[in-house]
Amino acid sequence: MFGGPGGGPRHLMQQDLSRPQNLGATLARFGHYFRPYLLALLIVLVLMIVQAWTQVVTPDLTGQAVDCFLFPSQGSTSCWYTTLPPDASLDAKIGGLAGLVGTLLLLYIGGAITSGLMFYAMSWAGQHALRKMRVDLFAHLHRLSLGFYAEREAGDLMSRITNDSEAIQQAFSNTLVEVLSSVLLLGWIVIKMLQTNLLYALLSIIVLPLMIAATVHFSGQARRAFRKSRQQMGSVNADLQESIAGVREAQAFSREEENIEQFRQTNAANRDAAVRAASFTSALNPTLEALGYLALGIVVVAGGLSVLRNEPLLGTSVISLGTVFAFMQYTQRFNQPIQRIAVMWTNVQNAIAGGERIFGLLDQQPDITDKPGALEMPPIQGRVEFTNVRAEYKPGEPVLCDINLTAEPGQTIAIVGPTGAGKTTIINLIPRFYDVTAGAVKIDGFDVRDVTAASLRSQIGIVLQDTFLFSDTVMNNIRYGRLDASDEEVIAAAKLVSADTFIERLPDGYQTVLGERGAGLSQGQRQLIAIARAALANPRILILDEATSSVDTRTERLIQKALEQLLRGRTSFVIAHRLSTIRNASQVLMLVDGEIVERGTHAELLARRGAYYNLYMSQFRREEAVETPSGNGKSAPVLQEAR
Amino acid sequence: MPVSHTNRRARGGRGGGASFASLGRALGYLGRQRRSALLAYGALFVASIAQLAVPQLTQNMINAVTSGAIANTILALPTFMQGVAATQTGKTLDQLRLDQANAEMLLINAALLIVAFAVMRGLFSFVQAYMAEKTSQGIAFDLRNEIFAKIQRLSFSYHDRNQTGQLMIRATDDVEKVRMFIAQGLVMVAQTIILLVCALVLLLTTNWQLTLVVLPILPIALILFMVFGSIAQPLFVQVQQRISTLNTILQESLAGIRVVKAFTREPYEQARFNRSADDLLTQQLKVTRTLSFLFPVVFLIAQVGQAAILYFGGKQIIEGTLLLGEYQKFSMYLMYVFFPIGLLGFIITMMAQAGASATRIFEILDAKSDVSDAPDAVNLPPIEGRVEFRNVTFRYFNSSDPVLDDVSFIAEPGQTVALLGATGSGKTTIINLIPRFYDPNAGTILIDGHDIRHVTLESLRSQIGIVLQETTLFSGTIRDNIAFGRPDASMDAIIAAAQAAAAHDFIMDFPQGYDTPVGERGTTLSGGQKQRIAIARALLLDPRLLILDDSTSSVDLVTEYRIQKALDRLMKGRTSFVIAQRISTVLNADQILVLDKGRIVARGKHEELMENSAIYAEIYHSQLVGDTELDAAEVELASAAQEA
Repeated sequence: MFGGPGGGPRHLMQQDLSRPQNLGATLARFGHYFRPYLLALLIVLVLMIVQAWTQVVTPDLTGQAVDCFLFPSQGSTSCWYTTLPPDASLDAKIGGLAGLVGTLLLLYIGGAITSGLMFYAMSWAGQHALRKMRVDLFAHLHRLSLGFYAEREAGDLMSRITNDSEAIQQAFSNTLVEVLSSVLLLGWIVIKMLQTNLLYALLSIIVLPLMIAATVHFSGQARRAFRKSRQQMGSVNADLQESIAGVREAQAFSREEENIEQFRQTNAANRDAAVRAASFTSALNPTLEALGYLALGIVVVAGGLSVLRNEPLLGTSVISLGTVFAFMQYTQRFNQPIQRIAVMWTNVQNAIAGGERIFGLLDQQPDITDKPGALEMPPIQGRVEFTNVRAEYKPGEPVLCDINLTAEPGQTIAIVGPTGAGKTTIINLIPRFYDVTAGAVKIDGFDVRDVTAASLRSQIGIVLQDTFLFSDTVMNNIRYGRLDASDEEVIAAAKLVSADTFIERLPDGYQTVLGERGAGLSQGQRQLIAIARAALANPRILILDEATSSVDTRTERLIQKALEQLLRGRTSFVIAHRLSTIRNASQVLMLVDGEIVERGTHAELLARRGAYYNLYMSQFRREEAVETPSGNGKSAPVLQEAR
Repeated sequence: MPVSHTNRRARGGRGGGASFASLGRALGYLGRQRRSALLAYGALFVASIAQLAVPQLTQNMINAVTSGAIANTILALPTFMQGVAATQTGKTLDQLRLDQANAEMLLINAALLIVAFAVMRGLFSFVQAYMAEKTSQGIAFDLRNEIFAKIQRLSFSYHDRNQTGQLMIRATDDVEKVRMFIAQGLVMVAQTIILLVCALVLLLTTNWQLTLVVLPILPIALILFMVFGSIAQPLFVQVQQRISTLNTILQESLAGIRVVKAFTREPYEQARFNRSADDLLTQQLKVTRTLSFLFPVVFLIAQVGQAAILYFGGKQIIEGTLLLGEYQKFSMYLMYVFFPIGLLGFIITMMAQAGASATRIFEILDAKSDVSDAPDAVNLPPIEGRVEFRNVTFRYFNSSDPVLDDVSFIAEPGQTVALLGATGSGKTTIINLIPRFYDPNAGTILIDGHDIRHVTLESLRSQIGIVLQETTLFSGTIRDNIAFGRPDASMDAIIAAAQAAAAHDFIMDFPQGYDTPVGERGTTLSGGQKQRIAIARALLLDPRLLILDDSTSSVDLVTEYRIQKALDRLMKGRTSFVIAQRISTVLNADQILVLDKGRIVARGKHEELMENSAIYAEIYHSQLVGDTELDAAEVELASAAQEA
């Protein structure tokens, strides 16, 4: 409908599983959401350091068991845990070992408690931050004007938001802690190794560049393959959706076998794409593991040879057997965090890319906002005035040109014209869903831009062509018009517009829960509920976009009656498709290409035999037959109307 | 179309036994992926065994270094002390010299072996992971195909009861859950069993005294995880439910954004959303609390085992009954005992979810279609067109009131039968019974004297053309859609049908003509255009028996005129059943059936009924729509007016 300005976020929307674009800014935005939980994060950080410390110190202690008690060597400096001489009695050694194991146990318990607390504190902060982000996003989405939504499919927007917040959710709950503590642990082990022995430390991490290269390569390939696989899954979904929804047609035309074969092909393409993606993800871990063992082999051979030959390796001092064992442990410990980071890396990237898209949405400027010092709209009398209104969605392409019109309180203005003439634009300007490019829209003398949108819109009732119902009870769907209305008031509104008869026939009456978007009701019944909703709101100004979809004759009558009730005594703007509405209108505006080409009452315009007359000939004449059924099977003469 | 009943069956919530039985049945599909499954599990076995060899290999390295170092130390002692020292290690001096000489070679060999092993193991783990994924995708493929085929063949009554969304979830999410379990959970189970059994055997043979030290930890850990698994699982389910509630609010609010804005209900929606977001948060924190406890405890148990081994093993080493290398090996095997236990929690959760999903999948696959070919069904010979309803009674599955109550009538070949009556009077049911979309509860429907339950569905339906007001177009080109019932039709035949249906002109207005893509991902056609495609579809089929709804979607005068003419052309010379909305239809009908509450209350031709049926006269005046009777000149004039 509208090609609104600034297609900014559209390209963002189309990205999928992509690499983050602006890392720094995105991280800063995430940081903003974590600010209230700084204390928790601080605690996490402290716990993380403590935990990394226990993780590093425990293998050291285990090494001490070897160096001090199991294989003490005379004069070696590698035992720092105890002053027990290497030739102490067996009992003394066992006693010392018991003490060491006791310390170790305490450290393990401490480590368990810290990691539990850390996980909780991180998730706590993460969940709260995500909640805030969700709520902000929801609020922001509601501030954006309809121009924004005209460009986007709600379903598409929706699935993006769901997927992105799912990705962020995952990252906040465990990925982040895992990655950070892995990095910390990695860093610590590296430092520890460097301190113990520079040369051996370098030997141990010699495979690191290879590991990084493998991770980058495989996860990059996997990401591309996953994108493909996701598209294929989309086709599977579309195929399913279409075939299930159209299953009756398929059976009617005996098309089952063809459909099954067609689905089989889509399905096979999906399977193949997924298997291809799996080939990359399956390769990453084994590669990293093998590289880890390579590092282990290198360290042990170098250290072992040095010990055996009792000669220093490349000018460093001779290392002890205990140090060699310690390095064996280091290299093994070193591998775990690397594998974890590699596995989590895709998650982190997804989360950042998801965050970027969500922040992109949050950055979308609402083009309609209350101006500073906007007034509250006083109770509306109902005088609506357009003066020299011009509206453009794309600069230089006016949809409305120099529109002037005045509706006095209580009048009904019917707007007619071909598709694309600007009818919808006119009614969208009154509640200020869009702003005019030039001219002004005034209600009771107030320019709509000078009052708050909330105070303005709350006094305007709108019944749209595509009736939207919520999956809630009928009662609550009508109550949507005025939230504080009692059940009796809701029922009264339904009665007023003759909707109560069919509602009472529903399985649970007013308490019937409607299916997804009002499923289970006919088009006409849904319209009646929407009309009741507007009647309950009891607005001073009413905007009505009549539905074109055909409903059965009886329901059509009901709707006509309901509309008559609804329009009574209010200033109303109607995009009219019903002859009855037009005939009762105080003023009919014939709109062509954004300009009012004819105006007057129905009878006046027919008499003029201009554009309106032609439109009437081709669109409305059929309704005559509905209104005045005649026995001879011919429609009622048209010209009678013009009298 | 029949009323579609909302089926709000709660998902999940089935007895555990049934759910595990369904999972077992899903695992039966492994048989069809025999090759990749065998490769996956063969590779898994090799990789697991290889993993178990790692401690031995590590020990070899350590032994090479330590024995070499000891030999070095002893042989470096003054000669008179060497003998005594050697006796302490239980070796002769010659052996020690050999140790010393071979140490370097042994060390290098051991290191090379471990690297070679790692590469091998990597290879097998890759094959295992890849083949497991391939197997699971193959199973998902089979399951989806079966579900799809089943859905295609299930009768209308099944579809009346089940919503598209519900069926979709089974073919997508539920299949995915089962697949995930097969790709990961099942592998974990196998790995757990292999590692646990082998590691325990190895532990016992390495040092049974030490094994006895850690053995009691196993059952404790097992019980603990079972308990946690059963606590955590419902929590996860609840999180899922709350996420879906939150998404529903978001979804509705976005889809209905115009209504929300029109009624300035942003604060209300926001409050609703915030409440739901808070609910979700609470539940997630609950899960987090459980997990924050569970996972550290898992690790702690493994670590306590390690500490115990360090103490008892260390003691043995100090006492000289255990070698350091052996100890290292032992403690690594120990990890292989504890590692799989740590996975049990995941496995149980995954298994429960997959079980529930498998149950839902087999609910579809096991559903009995109410309408299917009789075992001895014959092909219906080419239809003459005589249709007879004999005392037909029909009720929808959940209602006690019949929609059709003892209905009998005969339509002779070539006749047009107009069906009239209020909504719910049974018109739609009659036309749904003829192609056997449903079977009547009592009575018989005969076509040319054949009971339609005794002929094959394919031969029956392929001879009946159906045109309804609401038409679903499928993704594909316009041409595909017209050839829907006869995919092998020639282009000439398709164009001829389109011309007769007054669809050719608008089709040619599209830049791609008949190759214009339509449906979900293609061009959107208006209601009138779709209707004409449907008419062309039926014309192409050239059926002897026709079922149609003669109302026209809201279209302009000229189009309506053309559609009416096309419909008239369609009905000519065929037995036709028409849900009548137009006056001309009832005027021309050979037989009018007036239905009220499932019974035929009046029948005959227009003139007779006008005279003797009050209800007919009422309907005629209040419900029927006059025809657009334009002459050629008028059509031209109106066309011109439109274009102006």
